[in-house]
Amino acid sequence: MLELETLSARAGGFRLDGVSLTVGAGECHAVLGPSGSGKSTLLAAVLGTLPVSSGHVRLAGQDITRLPVEHRHLGYVPQQLGLFPHLSVRDNVRYSARARRVPEAEYRPLLDRLTEITGIGALLDRRVSTLSGGERQRVALVRALAANPRLVLLDEPFTALNESLRRELWWLMKDLQRERGLTVLLVTHDLTEAYFLADHITVLIDGRQEQSGAKATVYRRPASEPVARFLGLKNLYPARRLEAGIVDCPALGGRLAASGDAAGDGETLLAIRAEHVALRQPDDPPRDGETRLTGRFEAVLDLGEAALLHFRADSGALLEVRCGSRVLRKYGWQAGSPGTVGLPAADLFILRR
Amino acid sequence: MAMPGKGFRASIGAALTVLALYAGLIVSLFWFLDPATLRETLFSERTAFSIRLSLLAATVATLLALLLAIPAAYALSRYRFWGREAAETVLEFPIIVSPAALGAIILIFFNNPLGEWIQENTIYFVFGFAGIVLAQFITVLGLAVRMLKAAFDEVPVELETVARTLGASPRHGFFTVTLPLARNGLIAAFILTWAKALGEFGATLMVAGSMAMRTETLPIAIFLKLSSADIEGTVALILVLVAIGLTALFAARRILGRSVHA
Repeated sequence: MLELETLSARAGGFRLDGVSLTVGAGECHAVLGPSGSGKSTLLAAVLGTLPVSSGHVRLAGQDITRLPVEHRHLGYVPQQLGLFPHLSVRDNVRYSARARRVPEAEYRPLLDRLTEITGIGALLDRRVSTLSGGERQRVALVRALAANPRLVLLDEPFTALNESLRRELWWLMKDLQRERGLTVLLVTHDLTEAYFLADHITVLIDGRQEQSGAKATVYRRPASEPVARFLGLKNLYPARRLEAGIVDCPALGGRLAASGDAAGDGETLLAIRAEHVALRQPDDPPRDGETRLTGRFEAVLDLGEAALLHFRADSGALLEVRCGSRVLRKYGWQAGSPGTVGLPAADLFILRR
Repeated sequence: MAMPGKGFRASIGAALTVLALYAGLIVSLFWFLDPATLRETLFSERTAFSIRLSLLAATVATLLALLLAIPAAYALSRYRFWGREAAETVLEFPIIVSPAALGAIILIFFNNPLGEWIQENTIYFVFGFAGIVLAQFITVLGLAVRMLKAAFDEVPVELETVARTLGASPRHGFFTVTLPLARNGLIAAFILTWAKALGEFGATLMVAGSMAMRTETLPIAIFLKLSSADIEGTVALILVLVAIGLTALFAARRILGRSVHA
């Protein structure tokens, strides 16, 4: 449906370099990255507000690289929502139909349905300035979708909301996407949001496409150190690949089995996610393919539904461990308590430095 | 609203001093106010001519200035182009150059071959109504562009982008989103530009001269009255000019206040 082919663009001194990705019809693809990574530049290039220096943007097979914004048939919800403050909610949501001179009989059924799903019927005669944050979000979504767009572009539209409202609107977005078969390109810096809404994720860092793939793959197997660090992975240790599936990692006790051979020979990094580090009792029997480390907990933090622990192995390596709060309460670990952790070979992986 | 601290009370004092300064100057006029002269001046044909000429010239000059200033201010607000910084700097030109010097520049221009050709083949500006309008137009144009640019700067570009994704052409987006949102700035620019044109003296004097019942705008009429040592007549005309200017500003505040609180 949407195809970006080695897309490059310049915005001031910043350069977005050769991004290629495909978003299938009815899919949601998240572009994830820190501030200044090029997300907004990519979005502007797809929108058509920033000239593309090389590459192509194709939508449903049509090359739209040089097409004016108004002819691209996109739905766009920016971070600040972009509601027109001088118009009522009703005039906002039917702006597109009026701009395109669509007869009311044609756009009315879709608008009525969207109004019903999002529950904004009672708001139609109100002015935008009188709406709450959640109401404004719903109106912005309805306005973008009422144009029956070929592609919906979401630029961190849920960022300013509190957690419970954000989740409520994520579900609404999911429902809308399923019912309308929407193709969505979501730009966000929030991994949870990307994971909730998207099927596929592209990670941009410093204007470069670091990794693209199914969301589970990107989350579980970051391809490089910058991606891993951006995704919040703390347990990264220098290692040397010895043979297929085997590395030497002094910090974690020497020779270890790990996945991710694609990283190649020589100097590399060994990683494991905090939630994959297994907490063990000293007398637990050994498990196949699991490396055991002993040491002490340096810090223990109960976050309510989960707990974070800093574990200093006898080798000197510091590991971040994540577990359920109930587990923490059951075993009563505290800062200074001795402990044992297990590193399952299936969860240890090699990545590019 | 919270009560200001001790240090900030001094700032309120400064604000009231500004009010007292201008109000005091206006009130001091009444020392020389002679009701009979005021009545005679107000109802004289010459004063009526000056008022009509001033209102007409200021309105035409302001409309012409806005006609050029709206697209220019929009371009300066939205686009990066060659010569943009120079254009922005030139907006200050009428402020740093005194109106008399500006008028002299215009007059000198009409004495070079291009200026002479323009006068002979299009409109004759010097010492006529067109000269008054031109002098006022040149004096207020920079102010109009600067005020309108500030108004357009206040409208987020993102709203125009959203309008375009919804199918609006740049022109449709401008007229349905940008212009309505810049409405207050546009009204303020019109009224302040008009008030400045109404009070314009130096450039008008240079380009159009000070011919009674011909190029005699209100400020020129005040100048002529004062030159003939007619203090009471001068005071009467100043009060007319002040009344027109304050009425315009009051109307502007009412209109802007109403639309802000609507």
